[in-house]
Amino acid sequence: MLEIKNLTKTYKGGKTAVANLSLTVRAGDIYGFIGHNGAGKTTTIKAVVGIHDFDQGEILVDGKDVRSQSMACKQVTAYIPDNPDIYEYLTGIQYLNFLADIYRVPAKAREERIRREAEDFGIYSVLGDLVSTYSHGMRQKLAIIGALLHEPKLLVLDEPFVGLDPEASLILKKKMHAFCEKGSAIFFSTHVLEVAEKLCNRIAVISGGKLVAEGDTKELTRDKSLEDVFMEVIGHDKAD
Amino acid sequence: MTRQIRLLTKLSLYGMFGWNEFLHTKDGRKKLRCLLMGGLWMFLVLMLAGYVCLMSVGLVAMGMGYFVPAVLGMSVSLVVFFFTMVKAGPVLFDRRAYERQVALPVTDRAIIVSRFLSMYLTNMLLGMVVMVPGMAVYGVMERPGAAFYLYGLVTVVFLPLLPLTAASVVGALIAGIASRWRRKNLASILLTLVFMCVLLIGSMRLSSVEESQMEAMLQQIALQLEGQIRSLYPPAIWIAEAMVQGKLEGLLLFLGLSLGCFLVFLEILQHFYGRICGLLSAREAKGNYRMERLQAKSVMRSLVEREWRRYFSSAIYVTNTLAGEVLMVLLAVAVPVVGKESVDRIIGIPGVVDRALPILLGALAVMMPLTACSISMEGKQWWMMQTLPIRRRDMIWSKVILQLLVALPFYLVSEAVLLAALGPGWADALSLLVVPWAYILFGARAGIAINEKLPVFNWDSEVRVVKQSSSTFVTMLAVMAAAVVPVVILFVAPDFPVYGVHGAVVAVLAGATLLMEACGRNA
Repeated sequence: MLEIKNLTKTYKGGKTAVANLSLTVRAGDIYGFIGHNGAGKTTTIKAVVGIHDFDQGEILVDGKDVRSQSMACKQVTAYIPDNPDIYEYLTGIQYLNFLADIYRVPAKAREERIRREAEDFGIYSVLGDLVSTYSHGMRQKLAIIGALLHEPKLLVLDEPFVGLDPEASLILKKKMHAFCEKGSAIFFSTHVLEVAEKLCNRIAVISGGKLVAEGDTKELTRDKSLEDVFMEVIGHDKAD
Repeated sequence: MTRQIRLLTKLSLYGMFGWNEFLHTKDGRKKLRCLLMGGLWMFLVLMLAGYVCLMSVGLVAMGMGYFVPAVLGMSVSLVVFFFTMVKAGPVLFDRRAYERQVALPVTDRAIIVSRFLSMYLTNMLLGMVVMVPGMAVYGVMERPGAAFYLYGLVTVVFLPLLPLTAASVVGALIAGIASRWRRKNLASILLTLVFMCVLLIGSMRLSSVEESQMEAMLQQIALQLEGQIRSLYPPAIWIAEAMVQGKLEGLLLFLGLSLGCFLVFLEILQHFYGRICGLLSAREAKGNYRMERLQAKSVMRSLVEREWRRYFSSAIYVTNTLAGEVLMVLLAVAVPVVGKESVDRIIGIPGVVDRALPILLGALAVMMPLTACSISMEGKQWWMMQTLPIRRRDMIWSKVILQLLVALPFYLVSEAVLLAALGPGWADALSLLVVPWAYILFGARAGIAINEKLPVFNWDSEVRVVKQSSSTFVTMLAVMAAAVVPVVILFVAPDFPVYGVHGAVVAVLAGATLLMEACGRNA
């Protein structure tokens, strides 16, 4: 579903954010992308969703190149940034309806999905209010509902659990599982290693812009916790 | 308290004009762009200084050197008032900045003074650009004593205080009244536009009086000019008395009034400030939504609707960009109401209405097109346009269409008034209809093309985008150039047929618009 091949991104000023990174997310995967602050997670994610251009490499979404077939890639992808700044001058329902128009979701289907998801996340009653009146967590929930609206094949999430209350976190985890069971894939970054360990079937660890560990979660951790593995590979990378 | 003010002012100044970004960015292209913009600003400053020098030389040569400080002081004060009137409210009552600052151990008084100071310092620079060359000319030609320079220095520093206080009073009143309405933004937009219209109509009347008296003045007398300045802006005469005649009481009167008004304003405002900010930031949340039938729309319609909501959600965006359209209607109404000759006198170019009315109407309509900052206004939400499956062309045209939709009613009213009142022949009617629309289309497309090249996404206050971005500045210059060139041709070469020039204007503007579209597609 997502193939990143030899991705390299250098910022103006000379800092290499991502160096020769390759990974593959298959249909049905919940793929955790972990690393310390400034490791290159968000840069990679932004290159995948088309916010950042990159210097070398190739990114394929559902077999299509994100550079030459960006519209086709965006049509099957949904992205939620770590701090979803969404249009404050729209009401929640206007925002969702706008997204549904952009993704061309039929009227009946959008009504059903909005009602279902908004009720699940507990924000149905405030959909008529302006987004500017929403708390951080409510905005996050609205962004998640918006991302699920067109039933994308690839969901890209940057720190999706930040700002969510425990109940909403649980709902999101269930939704992530259900989403992938239908054959879609999730590529998400997180700092919370316990969540990644329990939720993801595959994990990649990035440090200093380089992939330092990647594989099946169970194989990667074996008899250790993900925290131990993380500290180990990060420590090795720093020593190198 | 002084420390609080200093720190908060410094914080405001960091965000102004992208100065701090220029100092710290490692992006060479961004730095170069900033340097080029700085060069353009310097060029305009030098042009203004040159104009001031010429005018000052003229006044001194006519034996009216006494009026140099008065005329310059009055001009600066009026410019400061007009240009900060729309900005003062949004700067003083910036909701987001207030929410951040109110949690800090600073007083409301410090917040107000720091925001006032951030506006004050930029206006003081304008005062210096105008006053210093005039003072230099006067100094060289009249050889005044040390008091002239000393009092002049004090004047330059304090000159913006009174007009800025007056503009802030207007801004505070509008914010205070709007804060009590349910639709605060709409109230603020309407009140600002009404005030702007009243002021413009008033200034038109004053301008026409001034011009008729100017002729008499040239024949005879300083006294009439003095009377006129006194009636328009008395403190300008006190400044002149202090600088030229060395009257300390004139300076003290000017300083006393400026400081007095500011302190009274500050004293009153600080009592209501927190409440007004609270009311302005209060949002209604009903929490009783029930699903209605949702309508599926085309991508373009959905984009235009979103643009429409975005536009009318920002009072400073609307009032700044709509000023041109309001002026277009005022000009269209003024022509039949006060007569072509009077409008010629107000504009200061005899025969301009007869020869260049369609050009003036069009240029005024897109004096500052809303597209010039519509990409920048996306701000931190720009990620959505980047990640949603929206074609670049659709995004661009949704913004252009909004400009056309906003301008359309003003255009129709202006055209209806002029066609009904002037009863023009078919050629004049065609000019009146086609030329302004060609400007509107050109301005809308040029604005977006320039904003695409010079975007600013990382801003805290909308003032930074609407009033201080290089994109709006360059767009204004482009529209101005597109209007000035044909007007100059019409007057420098009077043998050129008027319709020929109008036709050429339409052809050039349409060609430029198509060229921008073609370049945009290939980008």
